Amino acid sequence: MQRLLAFIEQNLYLLLFIVLQIICGFLLFGLNPYQQATFTHAASNLTAASNQLSSEVTGYIGLKDQNKLLQNQISTQFQNSPQNSFLYLKDTFTIRDTSRRPLFDAIPAQVVYNTVHKANNVFIINKGSDEGIQRNMGVISSEGVAGIVLRSNSQYSTVMSLLNTDMKVIPNINGSEYFTELVWDNAETSHLKIKGINKLEEIEEGDKVYTGKSSLLFPAGIPVGTISKLTALESSQYFETEMVTATNFRKLTYVYVIINRDAELIETLLPDDK
Amino acid sequence: MINRVLYWVLVLALQFFLLNHLDISAYLIPQVFIILLITLPLHISKIKQVLIAFAIGLLADFFVSTPGIHASACLWLILLRMFILGRQDLKQHEANKLPYYVNVVGLVPFIYTVTILVLFYHFYVFWLESIGAVNGVTFTLTSLFSSFFALTIISVVQFVSLRNSGE
Repeated sequence: MQRLLAFIEQNLYLLLFIVLQIICGFLLFGLNPYQQATFTHAASNLTAASNQLSSEVTGYIGLKDQNKLLQNQISTQFQNSPQNSFLYLKDTFTIRDTSRRPLFDAIPAQVVYNTVHKANNVFIINKGSDEGIQRNMGVISSEGVAGIVLRSNSQYSTVMSLLNTDMKVIPNINGSEYFTELVWDNAETSHLKIKGINKLEEIEEGDKVYTGKSSLLFPAGIPVGTISKLTALESSQYFETEMVTATNFRKLTYVYVIINRDAELIETLLPDDK
Repeated sequence: MINRVLYWVLVLALQFFLLNHLDISAYLIPQVFIILLITLPLHISKIKQVLIAFAIGLLADFFVSTPGIHASACLWLILLRMFILGRQDLKQHEANKLPYYVNVVGLVPFIYTVTILVLFYHFYVFWLESIGAVNGVTFTLTSLFSSFFALTIISVVQFVSLRNSGE
């Protein structure tokens, strides 16, 4: 304590210097109009910059919650989308009493494990049978089709990725369904091959590929990818077609599991060789 | 003592009534009064030095309507002076209560100290004055020309005052 007091006493002139400099600062920036304007301008810039920084930091901290909120909003919008609903009449006598009944539910989920380099890639999501998820349900990302549920436990589900040699999706190109298959040949991530498209078909590079109506797993019109390469082989009547997936599997983080509410009802009406 | 007071009054009058109104060039605004701070007696306590510097700075601000600029510059100048003099061997002069004059400390240390302090003071003052409208060339030229002009006047003032004191 004595040392501290001695130190303060020895450097009292420095304290006095600082106090007087502060007074000078007030005089300088308070009474000189030019310096005052500059100081005000610099201070407002500093305030704006610190507000921006603060906003970015708090925004970043809240990003996870915002993602969940957005996912829930998208899920609700998806359920209420006219594309994914049946329009049916409650009262056949007046059209004003019509309502839309959702056919598909979308359950938001987060990817907790993902592979892209194997021959049969899968990813695991943090939602399971407790949420109503079962085998053979479609999974989409905000960009497009992601995969099909293979199995579930109470908390998690394993999803067969589009990048899987066992994956089969029936593509719809330019409004026409092609009863062929998208094949992942393990050559390049995000690139699939479409087999069996006749050279007579009017398709070209850049055409979008969507899900069709012949699947109960996905609603029609979900993007699958874009045709990136179309080669007409001389020795064959078919195109050699390559497609880039709409979903970026390397960055797959948030997905939606599609539950077809009427799948069982519809399946009972399908012929056995569906 | 009377001589010293007279010396102070004359230097301040020279600064406030003549040099501050010198319209030779926009680049020549010499601040000669700081020689009073530079040549303060060596035995004065640091707290007193700081207070004297602040008071003289405020007085200078009063005459040119620049509140805070000269006061701040004088405070820095006195702090820098303490630092420079702390590296010179002046213990004996301090004990004899002598001022920091050329005939006391010698020509070379005196020129060294005065040049650094005068340059620092002019650069600092003109920098503060030009806040918000810094023109690098004008600022540098004004600081340099004014510093060298001030150094010349300070040399003359020192020479005259020494001659009058008969040394």
